[in-house]
Amino acid sequence: MRAAALIARKDLSQRIRDKSAILLGVVAPLGLALIFSGIIPDTSGSSFDVQVGVVNNDGGVVAAGFVNDVLPAVEADDILTVTSYADEDAALADVDSGTLSAVYIFAPGFSDSIQSGAGGSVRLVGNVDQSTSAQIAKAVLDGYLAEIDAVGIAVGSSAVSGATDLAAITALATQETAAVVLTDIAADNRELDATTFFSAGMAVFFLFFTVQFGVSSLLEERFHGTLPRLLGAPINRWSILGGKAITSFVLGLVSMVVLAVATTFMIGAEWGNPIGVAILMVCGVLSALGIMAVVAVVSKTAEQAANWQSIVAVALGLLGGTFFPLSQGPRLLALFSKLTPHAWFLQGLGDLSAGSDLTAIITPALALIAFFAVTVGAATIFGKEVLAP
Amino acid sequence: MNVLECGGLVKAFDDLVAVDDVGFHIAAGETYGLLGPNGAGKTTCISMIAGILQADAGRVTVGGREITTRSTEGKAEIGYVPQDIAIYPDLSARENLRFFGRLYGVPKANLERRIDEVLEVIGLSDRGDDRTQEYSGGMKRRLNIGIGLLHEPSLLILDEPTVGVDPQSRNAILESVELLGQTGTAVLYTTHYMEEAERLCDRVAIIDGGKIRAEGTRRELVELVGQRDTVTLGVVGSAHKLVAGLEVVSEIEKITATEGSIEILVEGASQVLPRLLDVAQQSGVAVSGVEVIEPNLESVFLHLTGKALRD
Amino acid sequence: MKSLVITSTNIKRMLRDPSTIFFVFIFPMMLILVLGAAFGGGFTPKIGVIAEGGGDYAQSFVDEVAEDEDFETITYSAVDVLIKDVERGVLQMGVILPAAYDEMLRTGGTAAVEFVGRLDQSVVQYRASIEAVAANQSAVFRAARLVEAQGLADFGEAVTTARVVASGSTGTEVIVETTGESLFGEDLGQFDLGAPQQLILFVFLTSLAGSAALIQTRRLGVSRRMVSTPTSIGQILLGETGGRFAIAMIQGLFIMIGAAVAFEVRWGNLFGAAALLIMIALVGAGAGMLMGALFDNDEQAGSMGVFVGLGLAALGGCMVPMEIFPDTMVKIAHLTPHAWGLDGFSELIRQGGTFTSILPELAVLAGFAVALLSVGTWRLRAKLTH
Repeated sequence: MRAAALIARKDLSQRIRDKSAILLGVVAPLGLALIFSGIIPDTSGSSFDVQVGVVNNDGGVVAAGFVNDVLPAVEADDILTVTSYADEDAALADVDSGTLSAVYIFAPGFSDSIQSGAGGSVRLVGNVDQSTSAQIAKAVLDGYLAEIDAVGIAVGSSAVSGATDLAAITALATQETAAVVLTDIAADNRELDATTFFSAGMAVFFLFFTVQFGVSSLLEERFHGTLPRLLGAPINRWSILGGKAITSFVLGLVSMVVLAVATTFMIGAEWGNPIGVAILMVCGVLSALGIMAVVAVVSKTAEQAANWQSIVAVALGLLGGTFFPLSQGPRLLALFSKLTPHAWFLQGLGDLSAGSDLTAIITPALALIAFFAVTVGAATIFGKEVLAP
Repeated sequence: MNVLECGGLVKAFDDLVAVDDVGFHIAAGETYGLLGPNGAGKTTCISMIAGILQADAGRVTVGGREITTRSTEGKAEIGYVPQDIAIYPDLSARENLRFFGRLYGVPKANLERRIDEVLEVIGLSDRGDDRTQEYSGGMKRRLNIGIGLLHEPSLLILDEPTVGVDPQSRNAILESVELLGQTGTAVLYTTHYMEEAERLCDRVAIIDGGKIRAEGTRRELVELVGQRDTVTLGVVGSAHKLVAGLEVVSEIEKITATEGSIEILVEGASQVLPRLLDVAQQSGVAVSGVEVIEPNLESVFLHLTGKALRD
Repeated sequence: MKSLVITSTNIKRMLRDPSTIFFVFIFPMMLILVLGAAFGGGFTPKIGVIAEGGGDYAQSFVDEVAEDEDFETITYSAVDVLIKDVERGVLQMGVILPAAYDEMLRTGGTAAVEFVGRLDQSVVQYRASIEAVAANQSAVFRAARLVEAQGLADFGEAVTTARVVASGSTGTEVIVETTGESLFGEDLGQFDLGAPQQLILFVFLTSLAGSAALIQTRRLGVSRRMVSTPTSIGQILLGETGGRFAIAMIQGLFIMIGAAVAFEVRWGNLFGAAALLIMIALVGAGAGMLMGALFDNDEQAGSMGVFVGLGLAALGGCMVPMEIFPDTMVKIAHLTPHAWGLDGFSELIRQGGTFTSILPELAVLAGFAVALLSVGTWRLRAKLTH
């Protein structure tokens, strides 16, 4: 243990002198997090404002029911913001320019046509880039029209089934209560806001580059010829590997802590419960260490190790959703991203952000530890030769 | 008392037997040379002695303690100087020494004093705080050796320490090894330079193909071959007159005369030489030059292995 | 001629490094593929559905949700998993049908479908779509109950009848049209947005990180040896610049042609695209020369190159499209060559621009190239002859 600590101390002082560790461990992730927090507008937490217009050229009861009863109700619920237009062209111009997301246009005679049972149509014109908003506007209208149509379906079904007094049935149908209703279950937010996401994402992405300085230095010892010297020294052989692991661990953990503190104060990232974050960081650093150790022991030279480590770090980082939240992308990608420690680390932080309940991070922490256990096992099997002079 | 004892050492890499039943011993204050060409098994042999490489068979003890790759106590008795420069380029000489000194368990109280002493010995006192990547090749070599001396080992192993070293540094290195022998340190020295082995080593083992072919003092080895000193006299005038006159010197085994010079094979050239010159004077032959070549390890090696020692 | 020898040696050395092959050729294509697959199709909200009871009526509700092409419907079985996925943003919302959904409807009760959504998100707006589904479903059962109450048919038959009526009913239709000029271009292919971003990002990244080779050459003493040969400094500098430029061009052409062949990316006007690529490669070569002259440690230059390369790319709109940047950041973005390159490609690809319509972008890139190349070669000349 004493020898391992000595070797780690020597390695750390070497790494501090060689500025690469500081550059990749702190400067690069912090710089990128700052850039990302600048270029991404923070929209989380605010529901977007859907501006719709309505042009009522009909004047009948069906259109009036929508314009006078439904729209004010949804506006009160903050679903839509409604502006009435008398002039269809003016409304369309506003949709065209993007001022409005969509406009409802009721043509003359719409209500009459519906009431006569001939059906009818409403035009909904949406802006090309605001399809989600237009879709919401459509859904509001669909809900209302379903209600209108319900009476028609009831009357129609009765008629098909042999009923004759359709007027009485219409009256009954309008009094019928809904058979299917929606009730709400509120869910918490376990997603990181953009600033925290990029801070944590960059931190864990560059973590893999930072820890490789420790594990790869074994290959450097071989290159510099100092490995035989260490092997000849009166110390336990495993303490050489131990020293390298300590170096990686310390470098990784320090860079994570520095980044968490720096992003918290500089750009207001919210990492969450410090104890939970600390547990995730320790587990995350261990998993990174294990993976980089495997690459190091199967490599012949420090240069080869560095090349493959960059490839592995970049590929896992991309797949793990550190630059882009792939976990929220297509299902297959989301599934693949679970093969990376990055995804588990970010998920753990997300779960933590929903509250300070530490049980939330048990699964991510265990997953990260599993990466560590498997990779360290593999490194020991493949790495038998690593301590040969 | 023997500092190092080893015997029956065997090491094979796959099919290649690199070291095959090697054994010898070194006493305190003795400098022992392993002389052999590149690839003879020298480095493998000392790697096992230094506890870096696990031997397939055989036994090594240093100061009575058995050496394996796991033995930490025994290794503390050994100072090891690898063939390739083994120092951290981004650390200063002092930092390199401090790191290895602590790994070897030099007590903190003594460490700084020892570092100063070693820097003095290797002539780096004024450059001790510079990073070693700024050093010249010779300075790096000297530090490479210095690290092995730091913890005052009872056995110092030097693996070809002069390969690729300029003549001046080489001489400095050889001088410091000579000094070490005088302080009672046992030195195991591998080289493929015959002159170094002849100059430094009290005893020499000739190793080739993983086996020790012969072992002994230089003299013993030479006698093993039975070769004699060669005296070459440069002459002005008739060489044949001299050849005839030399017949009276009984120690002479063979005379070869050519135009302007005579080659004489003789036992104990130093004793015989004055008489040779007397004979020349009596014969009226002017001697323009004298060269005495003692039989060397090169010729011994050639005799034993049928191969020349080469770089 | 001598410059060409230096240039071709540069290329040879690059092609021998296995990690270069990955980062220069494979990785950019991977990124275009993955990002195009993940985000190129636009954002489709995902809805998780649980229908435990498995009855016909429940299935009909689920089918109607799934029919909506504006959502991607995913079936779940455990309520807590579904809720957690909504909380994590894997799903935008969830719908849970009670196990006794069919039974409730058959016995005249009200079936309460649970809607899972996050209060902080725009779920209240997505909710309207599910409400419309509920209303449609409700209409069928209301009609069936009425028919059953009149004794005209039993409930099961009545539901079937009502469904037929509902599907055949002239009803009320919503005709959806769109208007306006699309931000990203309406017929934008799935990979069209990402390909130029990755092209510019990687050409610069490779150029900057590749400056390490320049430093290695110096550190190994090869540069001194070159200077000692009867080759003028000018020829050496030209050769090294040529090497940087050629590597950038090889990578750029590979990405352009590869993306066009594999992902059907249209790069627009051929002359315009070629001119842009040449300019971008020249700027990259200049940046690489400057990095190579400023640093003396190849490892530091390599990692610094990666950082600067990624940072400028993020800032210049190669990771997140500039269209969503805040206004001030758009201005800052245009301090990078990346933003100008992207503007050029967007003009070519989305607006169908030609060589002449991207002249302003080409001019700015040429400015970058001249500035970087002259400072870079000036510094490198000083390093070589010092």
